[in-house]
Amino acid sequence: MAEYRTIRFRLNGRPVELAVQPHENLVEALRRGFQMYSVRESCGQGLCGCCTVYVNGKAVSGCLYLAALVDGCDVQTAEGLGTLQQLSPVQEAFIECEGFQCGFCTPGMIMMATQLLQENPNPTDEEIKHYMSGNLCRCAAYPEIIAAVHRAAEKLRASKETDAKADQAATVAG
Amino acid sequence: MSKVMEPGVQSAAPSGQVGRPVKRLESAAKVTGRAEYIHNLELPGMLRAKVVRSTVAHARIRGIDTSAAKALPGVYDVITAEDILKVIPDPYYGPAFHDQPILAIDKVRHVGEPVAVVLATDVHVADQATDLVEVEYEELEPVFHEVEAYKSQTAIVHDVIRPAGTFADLKSLQPRNKTNVAMEYHLRNGDVDAAFAKADYVFEHTFRSQQVNHLPLEPTVTVAQLTDTGNLLIHTSSQSPSFVRIEVARLLGWPENKVRVRTAYLGGGFGAKLYIKLEALVAALALITQRPVRLSLTMEEQFYTITRHAATVTIRTGVTKDGRIVARDCKTWWNGGAYADIGPRVTQKSGFTAAGPYDIEAVSLDSYAVYTNLPPAGALRGFGIPQLVWAYESQADIIARELGMDPLEFRRKNILRNGRPHATGTILEDAGTVEVLEELARKMNWDQPFDRGSGTIRRGRGIAIGVKAAVSPTTSVAFVNLYSDGSCGVYCGTVDMGQGSDTAMAQIAADVLGLRAEDVRIIHPDTEVTPYDMATLGSRSTFHMGNAVRLAAEDAKQKIVAMCAEQTGFDPAALVVRDGGVATPDGSFFTFGAILAKRHGMQAGNVLGVGSYFPYYEKPNPETGMSEHITPYWMVGGTGVEVEVDMETGKVHITRLVTVGDCGKAINPGIVRRQLSGASFMQMGFTLFEEMVFDEGQVVNASMADYKIPGFWDLPDINEVSIVEVPHRNGPFGAKGIGETGSLGLSPAVANAIYDAIGVRIYETPLTPEKVLKALREKQGQGWEDA
Amino acid sequence: MNAFDLIQPDTLEEALSLLNTDDPLVRPLAGGTALMLMMKSKLYAPERLVSLQRLKPSLDKVKVDEAGRLHLGPLATLRELELSPVVAQFSPVIPKALRTLSNVRVRNVATLGGHLAHGDPHMDLPPILLALDAQVRVSSEAGHRDIPLSEFLTGYYSTALAPGELITEVVVPPLPQGTRGTYVKFTALSADDWPMAGVAAFVRLEDGQISDARVAVSAATERPVRLHEVESFLRGQRPTDEVLHHAGELAGTQIHPLADIRGSSGYKREIVKVCVRRSLQQIAQTDHNGDGGVTQ
Repeated sequence: MAEYRTIRFRLNGRPVELAVQPHENLVEALRRGFQMYSVRESCGQGLCGCCTVYVNGKAVSGCLYLAALVDGCDVQTAEGLGTLQQLSPVQEAFIECEGFQCGFCTPGMIMMATQLLQENPNPTDEEIKHYMSGNLCRCAAYPEIIAAVHRAAEKLRASKETDAKADQAATVAG
Repeated sequence: MSKVMEPGVQSAAPSGQVGRPVKRLESAAKVTGRAEYIHNLELPGMLRAKVVRSTVAHARIRGIDTSAAKALPGVYDVITAEDILKVIPDPYYGPAFHDQPILAIDKVRHVGEPVAVVLATDVHVADQATDLVEVEYEELEPVFHEVEAYKSQTAIVHDVIRPAGTFADLKSLQPRNKTNVAMEYHLRNGDVDAAFAKADYVFEHTFRSQQVNHLPLEPTVTVAQLTDTGNLLIHTSSQSPSFVRIEVARLLGWPENKVRVRTAYLGGGFGAKLYIKLEALVAALALITQRPVRLSLTMEEQFYTITRHAATVTIRTGVTKDGRIVARDCKTWWNGGAYADIGPRVTQKSGFTAAGPYDIEAVSLDSYAVYTNLPPAGALRGFGIPQLVWAYESQADIIARELGMDPLEFRRKNILRNGRPHATGTILEDAGTVEVLEELARKMNWDQPFDRGSGTIRRGRGIAIGVKAAVSPTTSVAFVNLYSDGSCGVYCGTVDMGQGSDTAMAQIAADVLGLRAEDVRIIHPDTEVTPYDMATLGSRSTFHMGNAVRLAAEDAKQKIVAMCAEQTGFDPAALVVRDGGVATPDGSFFTFGAILAKRHGMQAGNVLGVGSYFPYYEKPNPETGMSEHITPYWMVGGTGVEVEVDMETGKVHITRLVTVGDCGKAINPGIVRRQLSGASFMQMGFTLFEEMVFDEGQVVNASMADYKIPGFWDLPDINEVSIVEVPHRNGPFGAKGIGETGSLGLSPAVANAIYDAIGVRIYETPLTPEKVLKALREKQGQGWEDA
Repeated sequence: MNAFDLIQPDTLEEALSLLNTDDPLVRPLAGGTALMLMMKSKLYAPERLVSLQRLKPSLDKVKVDEAGRLHLGPLATLRELELSPVVAQFSPVIPKALRTLSNVRVRNVATLGGHLAHGDPHMDLPPILLALDAQVRVSSEAGHRDIPLSEFLTGYYSTALAPGELITEVVVPPLPQGTRGTYVKFTALSADDWPMAGVAAFVRLEDGQISDARVAVSAATERPVRLHEVESFLRGQRPTDEVLHHAGELAGTQIHPLADIRGSSGYKREIVKVCVRRSLQQIAQTDHNGDGGVTQ
């Protein structure tokens, strides 16, 4: 059996460590070590997106990523986006637009949509399809997911405007 | 007239919760990734199982050598049929036939059949050890195609056929030993020969549908453990927990109360997670090892576990000059794979609808469930109906065009209307056949001119309509519990696998009890807690479980009203249930909690409502295959498409997709819409490109890299869903099932549109660009040769 | 996936030393997306992987030199190439093709070096780089050698890389002024499938005449190949419908398509003909300021 090695990384903002075997993938390690059940191995080939994780701020397929390689990295999962009490704007938008059915692909979809909107705050349908084309939904909630990404973009723009106004007000007041 | 076994299920006017666009109750759990799936379940001390699978399609097992695998460090044990037989002496299971061994005994019948299991705490070690198990085979002649298998006298998949007797409705259908015919169903309605003699034209065509896979994204998974008293607790991603309990108990010779089966949310099911899949094996492993055992399939293994029937349909239709269908004769061969699973039920339940939603004087139907050396086929969203609609709706267009009739007019002329007998003899009632067809015509602007283009890209449009009979007989039971504070829990065995049943059931209970759907809690299937339900399949839950929940809520309501009446002295008939309490004629209002508190002198007690629903059914006459009560309700779905066909590549692009479904009454309009559109897109994959490709029984594309399913880029440019509501007299608030309705018409609608665009008819799905281009070139007299 | 040992050297020298062995069970690991698939399906079960992760800062540079050559670091991820303004300016065909290659997550991890070393004929960049006359520099403890990509890609999942060698740079010579290109990709199954055929074409037009043409085909064939006969036929011609049609037909005679689940060899030949013609038509129809595009 392969040797375990201890890796240290940040998980959803907190420093953690875990002993992993070299051939363990990131999905396995995050579930085994930290019960990060939003990260799911489905196709096992990086095609369906159920295992989406951010490593150093970039979305990767956890099922094709060796856990040992996140040593020293910043790792984020859907658990880090929002909570039941405080949903992220993208999560809210997915609920409002009913962008899921069975929900198995949903955290991955939301991770990709969140990253898309960080890179492109106002995507077109085409741009959404391009960015999300590596995420599959067997329930085929695709039209609702596209609508949810647009809705989330609106929410994020609106909150940015509110923030900007608040900043302005603060500046004036200050 | 339909007969109803239970009182009080006639459709009632909703009070505000039914018909409300409630967001799924589990929305926040799903978007945060917290929703519970059995996929997430790990138990302390658990062993992980990996399956050694047959590499050949048909063979005798000469020997299994597990020594090298057992010697690999970290391997706990390697289990073969020999070990299983020690705990389960007759280890054959199946819903229709007891034909499937838990692990192969003496013989393997398909590539991928489980032959042995490796157990280890580290799944990678178990996986590695599977390669070290040596199995020696003596190969036998295999048979793969359903029509060849039907005829074959040399390649026989099962020496002895073993009916299960589970389903009363199948008892009249007998297997034929020494053949591959597991079961056959025949219907004879009217004098078919005489009717054909009257016809001006007779058309005969053969259509084929390919094997496809459900591919739920949550891979099928089962975890089993022994309880403190040695009973079994099985956690499983199952659509049919009640069946799993009954079947595992039967295998073990135990009473049902020693087997507990629970599920959670399912990451998709579509029919892949029905009956026994991994449960019998994992239960046996837990018994053998006395430790918790988990088996979770890989995507590749899903292809070898259950598939959708390939089918060959030969359909002969007699029509008069003016376009009346007068006679139809339809023969269907279902490729059931190596084990029957639910194939015999598909053969009968789908078989009897093979004449389509048409009013035909004389009908003859023959339907054969055939064993082959392919992975077993079972139910997949539509239970065989899409394969039949593919045939009869493709042929409808062929006939209409031959007669020079508009395809819509041809359908209008022949459509089966309410009050008229279906081919089975059951009178059609409360079915939206006409309404769906007319809505389809309207949405498609069928009476408007259509530009078919010229040059490289040609355009076409097509429609199709199908009916499905709800599977019968089946039973659902539900409890509604008002807790001591008046809050409400609904106990039902319906599995929410994404179809939104939790939300719909909460809406039904809430509507009856004057609550908000959001305040009703649904208790997930657990055979120790929730009462019996036949299964979550065949679009049956809204109708059957919906009725059971409604009856249970009515029962609870009656009881709390009686309690309040006793406390206040008012006549129960004068009391009104609303807003989680009871209003009395004097203007007072008592919450459910207050009524219970008054009764018990403190916050205590329950009000338990029970509902049980079992629609009336008459099994088909063994001679004629006919029945006056063949189904509790009909589902009607229509699809219209507009396509673009690339004349140089054969590629088909759906530019517009219209899905129309009759749901009786939309309990939750948003969810109904999503179910219709989701089924339609899934069927689009089965229509255009999904296909399990076999080489000597081996699936050559058993991965998502090579078996492609529809993604974002495959969406039609325009996607429209239209809900038709023709209320059913026995449906809860008029509702019928809708989960499969969107699947019915899509394949032939696309083929009809391709014909409309380029004048080429394809008889076999999927409609790949190669098939389309090849047919087009053949029509132009220019084929190509393979290099 | 079977167990293996994982080593993470900090320098190229260290990595080359670790890889200097004839043991086929020792391999380099870059982004790992393809290797993980092979290991998961047990097509390959290594004993030791040498991760190149820590070499990335020294081997991921993208730049154009004074001579106009494009230098691509092998550990640049496909996503970095897709978003690189330097690459886009050199040839917008590259980023446009990358947008439809697998998906964002894979492109975030997969590297250019891994993409080429895998030798998979269904990848999108090889035909483009082949048409652009790219050279691959490979290094080992013994030194380095420069191999034209056409010789680097030797067959179905095979390359000219010898044991102990790593790709350390990819160099693309400057494109003559006025060259326009495109990449046409045809998928037979779902729209996001691997290509059944890919055609990269670069054409230079002078006074309405084709002065240079380079056409490469991938996916339909066992390895990406240049269609030299088509190229020489096109040189000196005007891009009329007739000429481009003939170029497509000629392309069909120059290839040996492999049948698989995505198409028969005969069908693939038909599709390559269409894709070659359409790629040339697209270029001919692009105005002089445009650079062609990628179509599916």
